[in-house]
Amino acid sequence: MTTPTSRTTHHPTSPATRRPAAPVPPGSAETRHSGGGLPGAIASEWTKLWSVRSVWWCLLSSVVLMAATAGQLAIYVQNSNTNPEPVDDRGVVAIGRMAVDAVELAQFAVLALALLVITSEYGTGMIRNTLQWTPSRWRLLLAKTTIVAGVTFAVGTLLGVLGAAVAAPVLGEWGRFEAPEAFGDALGVGAYLALISVFTLGLGAALRGPVGTLVAVFLVLTVVPTMLRLPDLAILDTLADVLPGSAGLHFLRGDTDPYPPAVGLLLLAAWAGATLAAGHTVLRRRDA
Amino acid sequence: MITTTALTKRFGRTTAVDALTLEITPGRVTGFLGPNGAGKSTTMRMILGLDRPDGGTALVEGRPYAALRHPLRVVGALLDSRAVHPGRSARAHLTAMARSNGIPTERVDEVLATVGLTEVAGRRAGSFSLGMSQRLGIAGALLGDPGVLIFDEPVNGLDPDGVRWIRELMRSLAAQGRTVFVSSHLMSEVQLTADQLVVIGRGRLITDAPIADVISASSLTAVRVRLPEPAALGRLRERLVARRLAVEPAGEDELVVTGATVAEVGDLAHELGVRLHGLSTREASLEQAYLELTDNSLQFTGSPVGTATHPTRSEAR
Repeated sequence: MTTPTSRTTHHPTSPATRRPAAPVPPGSAETRHSGGGLPGAIASEWTKLWSVRSVWWCLLSSVVLMAATAGQLAIYVQNSNTNPEPVDDRGVVAIGRMAVDAVELAQFAVLALALLVITSEYGTGMIRNTLQWTPSRWRLLLAKTTIVAGVTFAVGTLLGVLGAAVAAPVLGEWGRFEAPEAFGDALGVGAYLALISVFTLGLGAALRGPVGTLVAVFLVLTVVPTMLRLPDLAILDTLADVLPGSAGLHFLRGDTDPYPPAVGLLLLAAWAGATLAAGHTVLRRRDA
Repeated sequence: MITTTALTKRFGRTTAVDALTLEITPGRVTGFLGPNGAGKSTTMRMILGLDRPDGGTALVEGRPYAALRHPLRVVGALLDSRAVHPGRSARAHLTAMARSNGIPTERVDEVLATVGLTEVAGRRAGSFSLGMSQRLGIAGALLGDPGVLIFDEPVNGLDPDGVRWIRELMRSLAAQGRTVFVSSHLMSEVQLTADQLVVIGRGRLITDAPIADVISASSLTAVRVRLPEPAALGRLRERLVARRLAVEPAGEDELVVTGATVAEVGDLAHELGVRLHGLSTREASLEQAYLELTDNSLQFTGSPVGTATHPTRSEAR
């Protein structure tokens, strides 16, 4: 550690070297400035997001997972389609469908990013700084939601394109490429990942710990729907269908049963809104 | 200006902060003392809107912290310097901080230079020593050029050079008309830095007074007077006792007078026409005054070492 260079800078007897903003009487600074508020909080979260390595690892993992899974699913499709006449075969699939199916696995790398945005705050104690910078709890949560939703939507859309691009050459004649459909599938993946990431963010704000949040997300997305469907009871099936993971997949696959895709999207959005509300309540009520 | 009114915080059945009413005024350094667990950090966290009070209010420049649109331009605080993301560089940390409050990012390099971290600004905060982390925390507190500064144990982990730097920094911030509120365990440090002293124990206010008053009010602050003639000593003693001053003999030719000033004792001796061979003040240290004040409010008391129950009750100076 070197000697601080500013030892004299702060000496009261040297007004000429006072810090630049000092001539303004302390306390009046509040009224002079613009900036801050929600845009400031969003800018701050943006800087925070890209300044830690773990985010890049999450993104890299999501790319690898998507490429590998979409490619493998394409190989399955290609292998199981034995009819030599693709023209009359119903085994022809949209290339985007491979990306859609691969999301079920690749999503966890993206969710990890959403998870880190909030749980790393508590894990490192950084939340005490963050709340000093942005004391309004709703503003902070809205800023985090904006960043998470924006980034995961963009990343998700690119992952959708990537999955389709990897699947297309493997599928060959069994793949169907129609630009609007492929584009729609990619945007769908983006929308799904954005909402499920916001769902995770809200849950993380409510639960605070990374492990608990990850377990909860994993259970809700994969384990619980499967368990509920096992007994084959109508009411349990319905329950499974309204859970966020199932709603998201119904939306992604364009299912018309048990409800149209738009309903799936709305259900997912409602889930995301609900966990955000829960997260906000916890942020507001509990000490940081 | 920081004002708390009947500020109260409970954790379960423990009352950490109990109806604390304070006014921390600008233009001077206010030292915040109290035994471990007295509620110092909790008080600071409530002022900064991190903990929700169970009662009362805490205002900064007349407003609750959470109502400030640009809080970092009003209040700079160093609470726990390790509470940063270890993977983020010092510069990125401060840049994110500046953006949150619309502070020009050029200010980041200024405060990095102020605290002497320019050369390591690109390093991950997790690789910093405790002293470097403290400096990063102080850089953050100064970032928004705020009128109110709150430091929780700022000299922790700093080398003597750094301790001196902090002392001068705080004095100069107060001299610029800012409100400086600093907690510390190092009595000697507080004695050198602070003008005003707030002492709490078990969440309650024990003292809020200028540091000089606290020291002179200590029973260990006294006037020593030496007289060569025993008869004169007896007469002076009678007069002092008549004035309800505590007088104790110290040796054959000396008296220790508590509660009087040197001037009073000297004048009295002159009135009586007695010869003096010595007249001096025995001033308590802040540590002694503090220990007297907090004697009854220690929450975590260790067992005494040896036979001494009070480590500093021996004669000073």
